[in-house]
Amino acid sequence: MDKTQNNRAWFLVLPVLVLVAFSAVVPLMTVVNYAFNDTFGQNRFFWNGLGWFQDMLASERVHGALGRQVLFSAIILTIEVPLGIFVALNMPKNGFWSSFCLVLMALPLLIPFNVVGTIWQIFGRVDIGLLGHSLAALGIDYNYTNDALDAWLTIIVMDVWHWTSLVALLCYAGLQSIPQAYYQAARIDQASRWSIFRYIELPKMAGVLLIAVLLRFMDSFMIYTEPFVLTGGGPGNSTTFLSIDLVKMAVGQFDLGPAAAFSLMYFLVILLVSWVFYTVMTTLDRQEGK
Amino acid sequence: MTAPRWPLIYAVTAAIAVAILAALVAVAPRADGRIDWTAQMVDGGWMAWTLPIALFFYTIACLLVLFTLLAIHFPETPRTGILRIETTRGDRLFISLLGSAFLSLAWLAAFGAPLTYALILCLAYAAAVFRWV
Repeated sequence: MDKTQNNRAWFLVLPVLVLVAFSAVVPLMTVVNYAFNDTFGQNRFFWNGLGWFQDMLASERVHGALGRQVLFSAIILTIEVPLGIFVALNMPKNGFWSSFCLVLMALPLLIPFNVVGTIWQIFGRVDIGLLGHSLAALGIDYNYTNDALDAWLTIIVMDVWHWTSLVALLCYAGLQSIPQAYYQAARIDQASRWSIFRYIELPKMAGVLLIAVLLRFMDSFMIYTEPFVLTGGGPGNSTTFLSIDLVKMAVGQFDLGPAAAFSLMYFLVILLVSWVFYTVMTTLDRQEGK
Repeated sequence: MTAPRWPLIYAVTAAIAVAILAALVAVAPRADGRIDWTAQMVDGGWMAWTLPIALFFYTIACLLVLFTLLAIHFPETPRTGILRIETTRGDRLFISLLGSAFLSLAWLAAFGAPLTYALILCLAYAAAVFRWV
């Protein structure tokens, strides 16, 4: 096919470039600048060199937030991925109930994050919430506002409720693409349910599953709104994840320098994961294209 | 389209780069006739610019421009290295820069400032990435 090669077309990208410069590049540069300076307000800055980075790398507070963040992401992944696969395997394959399930499962995904937080904030309250009140009626001592474990359980259940559908829907799409001939061959060989899953369904799902894992990791690693609305990072600091801590530091305490250094390191981790995500997806696409 | 005159393009780009560098040095704040590296470059603290950070972004920008020119002059052919992913020259630059950031942070956490040796380590790392990844 003869396509006209004209590199001057790149100039058409310029408007977007200007827009991105104003909305992303210049703010990011400012953050880098702030990370190397100290300020007492009124736009007066004093050079601080690598001090904030050293402080943040050695900070117990940042280590704590990072630890909680990693733990949260790990728990989320270990629950949501197997549960999502399980749900996808048990969903109706066709007909009315298949569409019904798909719509039902997509509902939590469509709810805005702060609304999800508010729903669970009220749902879990002991005085008026259905969940909290029922648990109290059963004699269970549950209060997410002053018990760290309860707060964690509530946030995890909330996230599972909100996002397992995504894993399930992706896996469902992967399963639908498996031709019936594979299952017929397996039946002829009298393969067990487990072998069908292990040798037919799982390999065929691997691509979408990888995307699901990476998406869920990224989203849970950057989670802010839902735990902020639900617990505000409390009780104490027990549910203060990285982004919540960062906002407390930058906007609450107005420690711009440390917060800038912290956010740059946070940004680097996100950038690394995004790059892995992008590379894996493009590599998969290329393999499927062959 | 006429054949591009590459030496001219490189010369003009280099001239612009040198001019920007000269402008940066010219507006750099001075104390006792020497460059004051840690003073604010813009009165009123707009964006809190200081010369070291300005030079950092200047270097990155120059690298991006250089690699863009190189990519047009010598079109990139992806290859598969030890990471078993296809990378082009631009990808390897990105991996070098991102990896260098992590190396510098690790050095800072382990040995503290200054980062002079970390910079040497980063350059070695970048060379390794361009050779083998």
